[in-house]
Amino acid sequence: MRTFLQALSLLFFSTLFVFATYKLPNWLPADIYLRLDPLLGLNAIFAAREIIGRALWALVTIGATVVIGRFFCAYVCPMGVSIDFLDLLFFRKKKRQGLKLEVSLRKVKYFLLIIFITAAIAGLSLAFLMDPMALLTRFYTFFIYPVVITIINLIFDLFRPLFQALGLVTLSHLHYPQPVFYMSAITFIIFGGIIALNRLVPRFWCRYLCPLGAFLSLFAPLGIFKRRVNQDCNECMKCQKSCPMGAIPEDPRGTHLPECIQCRTCVKVCPQNAITFPTSLSLGGEYSKIDFSRRGFIYSLAGGIGVGFLATQTPFTLRQSKFQLIRPPGAIPETEFLRTCIRCGECMKSCLTNTLQPCLWESGFAGLWTPKMDLRLAPCDQNCNVCGKVCPTQAIRSVTLDEKTHAKVGTAILRKEMCLVWAQNKLCLICDEICPYNAIVFRPVEGYRRPFVIASKCNGCGFCEQRCPVKGESAIVVVPDGEIRLKEGSYVKEANKLQLEFKPDPGDDKYILEESGFKIEEKKNTEGKGLPVEKPQPKKPKGFL
Amino acid sequence: MALGFVSSPSFLVAKEEYDLAVISGEPVAATKKALEAIGGISRFVKKGQQVVLKPNMSFARTPDFSATTHPLVVVTVAQACMEAGAQQVLVIDHTLHRAELCLERTGIPEACKNIPGVHVLALQDRKFYREIKIPQGKVLERVEVIKDVLDSPVWINIPVAKSHSATGVSMGMKGLMGLIWDRESFHSKININQGIADLGTVLKPHLTILDATRALTSGGPGGPGEVKKPNLIIAGVDPIAVDSYGVSVVPWYGQNFKGRQVEHLLISHQRGLGKIDIDQLKIFKEKV
Repeated sequence: MRTFLQALSLLFFSTLFVFATYKLPNWLPADIYLRLDPLLGLNAIFAAREIIGRALWALVTIGATVVIGRFFCAYVCPMGVSIDFLDLLFFRKKKRQGLKLEVSLRKVKYFLLIIFITAAIAGLSLAFLMDPMALLTRFYTFFIYPVVITIINLIFDLFRPLFQALGLVTLSHLHYPQPVFYMSAITFIIFGGIIALNRLVPRFWCRYLCPLGAFLSLFAPLGIFKRRVNQDCNECMKCQKSCPMGAIPEDPRGTHLPECIQCRTCVKVCPQNAITFPTSLSLGGEYSKIDFSRRGFIYSLAGGIGVGFLATQTPFTLRQSKFQLIRPPGAIPETEFLRTCIRCGECMKSCLTNTLQPCLWESGFAGLWTPKMDLRLAPCDQNCNVCGKVCPTQAIRSVTLDEKTHAKVGTAILRKEMCLVWAQNKLCLICDEICPYNAIVFRPVEGYRRPFVIASKCNGCGFCEQRCPVKGESAIVVVPDGEIRLKEGSYVKEANKLQLEFKPDPGDDKYILEESGFKIEEKKNTEGKGLPVEKPQPKKPKGFL
Repeated sequence: MALGFVSSPSFLVAKEEYDLAVISGEPVAATKKALEAIGGISRFVKKGQQVVLKPNMSFARTPDFSATTHPLVVVTVAQACMEAGAQQVLVIDHTLHRAELCLERTGIPEACKNIPGVHVLALQDRKFYREIKIPQGKVLERVEVIKDVLDSPVWINIPVAKSHSATGVSMGMKGLMGLIWDRESFHSKININQGIADLGTVLKPHLTILDATRALTSGGPGGPGEVKKPNLIIAGVDPIAVDSYGVSVVPWYGQNFKGRQVEHLLISHQRGLGKIDIDQLKIFKEKV
């Protein structure tokens, strides 16, 4: 029964993950697991210092835990499911002795919880490091998703001759674009480490480290279902040995209520059938205490403030908006963005073009894993606004396509010394061809039509930067200058106020016609004359003779 | 021959004589009539053959932008091919924008979905391409081309009439660049007009049907720009003749041009790929 519910939860989590694409229907909250996570919610609310609508979903989880107990860890948490299932796969037959340090290790998760909350209060979003929901979504995004696509494509390649022989046209031409991410390896190592720790003791992560588990355990003793052992118990200690959470003390009749996740493994293994989980309103006396030293509390409080200080009071913070970092359209102002973003990676998963990539140190420790646009890799498509839709804390605002178009992320600038047309007089106009907003125009300079960017028409989508055929760095790059970052209100209005227009305007081409000069017969003009000759500027558009 | 002459003399004469069919009208009716006037699709498509159609569906734009071939033109040709007994029809392009969006926005898969045997494919991975040599190439020695085009006994080019910021216009000849893998070098390394002519020496459509029901006369190739409505379908075996006629039907960027004034068409003509002077062509014109 529990395994079934767990599988169902993981399946649901995975399905929502699959659905997080640009086609995501508005009614489907693909980020629901992240919204339900009270730690992420609390972290974002404290760090951003305001109530975040979507984070209020976490009240459901808190409420359910208050009523039922810490069931979330055993039945819902997809990280718990992954740990349990992979545990079965890798470590089922291994003998695990348990740890001598059990009691002190158990406290670690509370210390972490305090550190994260304090850091949030100090203005640093940090819970993402160890929050299971964020961690797992990241692992799915940066590892599982690309791997699965690779495997699917390999399978298609393997069966392609067969499909061709059978005349299955669509199947024999199927190929999914391979998503790629920076930091896939780091993410894998972290997740792999969490699984590997199970070698020492089952659910090592949940017992000792998980700050979300720590948070839920605070309410767990209030839950109405509590383990009870009747007088048939012969103290065989089977339940104590089998409890995945180590929630059963020396005296098997007792239960550490904060640790008990109601998985009912003990019920199954008890040879006397002495264990039940009746409803009870009592608070369980000494066993509901969270053993937590005052000193540890102070230390972790100090730790949280310390980390918060180290990460936020640095030159990085002061330079936050001065980095060459393009944030996704709809991202709120940089300081708030860093505080609100929980680094789950959902935006990067759902990104249609794969332009959204995780940061490493680009904006300091406070910006770890935040999404940036890598426009040399891929552009931002004007028909997609999914990153905001799936953002559980609305660090990227969910806006309509029209609003998103006006949420300017930066401005393209031409680096003339690298541009094939400016530096080498070559006939290149890929940036103009691909620009969806006609923000690039050609004007005659020294006898050649050369590209210019009209900043007021450029919203930084990056098609030009991605397509620029110059090897290495692009000759046209999007810089954050001119970006519109609004915490609230309309991007369209703001863009209008700034006299920006991201509407394609055919009028530009008339301009080109009037002033264009493309086909210059260079030889004729310079032949036999010592002095440079003013080159004529023919009136015909490019490609015509 | 005698039998044909007896059965339908005028019709048979018609299909042998005309270089171009220029039909004015709504997309479906005009396309049907154009096919008929050029000799019927069965002149090109034999029973049991695989047919490749190459429309322009390179941009994630709806048909009204005129950056892509009208879906009704594509589906009419596809239908005709199937009715002529084609084994299957592959509608193929190497899209410039994200493939799934191109397929969604251009409306071409949607239009074709109810015809069994017709498959719309955007081929975005190199494994679907095969390198061939260009013996007569001047700037290109070899090029990677979509395998299905190389392997199909017949393929039909169905470009849209639009302006192009590098090549003046983009019609059938420029559309050949939608069949190859590496196009960036055309802009950065080689002369694009010579490159297109090189492609023309190895990629010869059996029929070109130019969709000039709408024409993007500025802002091409991706648009947005000015969209005019010549309401024409221009069909012919000679790819240069079709494009050259297409140049003449509307002013581009507000100016009238002849085919000869388009550099890549002129070069292709000079290299023997087709006729460029439309006043020397036999043209079947009709309004439907």
